[in-house]
Amino acid sequence: MTEDRELDAWREQWSSVAEPSADFQRDFQRKVQQRIKREDRRFVLGNILTVIGFIGILIFAWYMRRQSTWMGTGWSASICVLVFVSAGVRIWVLRRTWRPETQSTRAFVELWHKRVAARIRMLRISTYLSIGWLIFCAVLMGVNWSIIGQDVGAHPKEWVALLIVCVLMQPVLLWYGAGWLRRRKLAELDEVKQILDEMDGKSVQ
Amino acid sequence: MSERRDLEPQFDRILREHGAAISRLAFGYEAVASVREELVQDIALAIWQALAHFRGECSERTFVYRIAHNRGLSHVWKRRPPHQPLDEIEESDQPIDPRLHPEEQVAQADRRTRLTSAIQSLPVTHRQMIVLILEGLSHAQMAEVLGITENNVAVRLNRARNMLKGALGERP
Repeated sequence: MTEDRELDAWREQWSSVAEPSADFQRDFQRKVQQRIKREDRRFVLGNILTVIGFIGILIFAWYMRRQSTWMGTGWSASICVLVFVSAGVRIWVLRRTWRPETQSTRAFVELWHKRVAARIRMLRISTYLSIGWLIFCAVLMGVNWSIIGQDVGAHPKEWVALLIVCVLMQPVLLWYGAGWLRRRKLAELDEVKQILDEMDGKSVQ
Repeated sequence: MSERRDLEPQFDRILREHGAAISRLAFGYEAVASVREELVQDIALAIWQALAHFRGECSERTFVYRIAHNRGLSHVWKRRPPHQPLDEIEESDQPIDPRLHPEEQVAQADRRTRLTSAIQSLPVTHRQMIVLILEGLSHAQMAEVLGITENNVAVRLNRARNMLKGALGERP
């Protein structure tokens, strides 16, 4: 069998793999249109929730600054800094990795690699930011302990709850959540590297 | 919003013209029929989202194939490790030519299943080469979709064909 005949035979089999009927096409187009509408709604809702969350955090920071007699200024300022730094880091780290799918496969995989590496970097920065946040809160409390101490004595239950929620939960989230995410991203990075190697003809058995 | 509405006729035409090819491409990346249908929808959605930014730097066919293959690659990663038993792999939705004798119909379906299974067993980059050549793209068009040189296409295609022959149990 010559090469071309072989290819023709494969093409003939391949062409009959999926020959959608007119009904299927209509149904398919209808489903796609529904999916587009759903995605559009999700996109709008996602953006609205992000803006609400962002504004909510800023209002909360402003409220704390006005209401608290102690630490208010420090906490509200640090919340604002944390929010803006987090948003800035996200945009900076993921720059030039948007809209990769219209590119050639090679460019897409290279961008994919860049994107995963950026996410791993972002995860590391987030961990440092969270640790920094914990240290900042501890220092702030230490500096204001003379005032806080009185409040702790007056409302011990609330402070224990605050301690559990804010302080003890963060290391749990950091070690388990970030650890799980990091392992997942590293596995993805390996996979992408493997695809790049395959493209360079390095690791295909 | 009105710009998006202007794109709708173009998008419908793309689905009409390339819908069958997209469905076939999805066979290269997914064996389970229900998941494959979702993948085809994903690809169509990605085309719709990218359409507003399409400025004709490449042909429409290249544009569609690029998106389809890139979405397929992401799909392969998300679906790994394969978590479906073999009996979930449905092939019954594949068309059967009613003009053929029943025995020939069975043989045709068997050949088709063997070919798609063999393609799905290849490394993902080889799958792409095979699917593109089966779709009738020239080496230049394949180079454009994959972002590699034509010489590289020839070398890799040769390697992919040998692997496919091996997977089909034919001598490379």
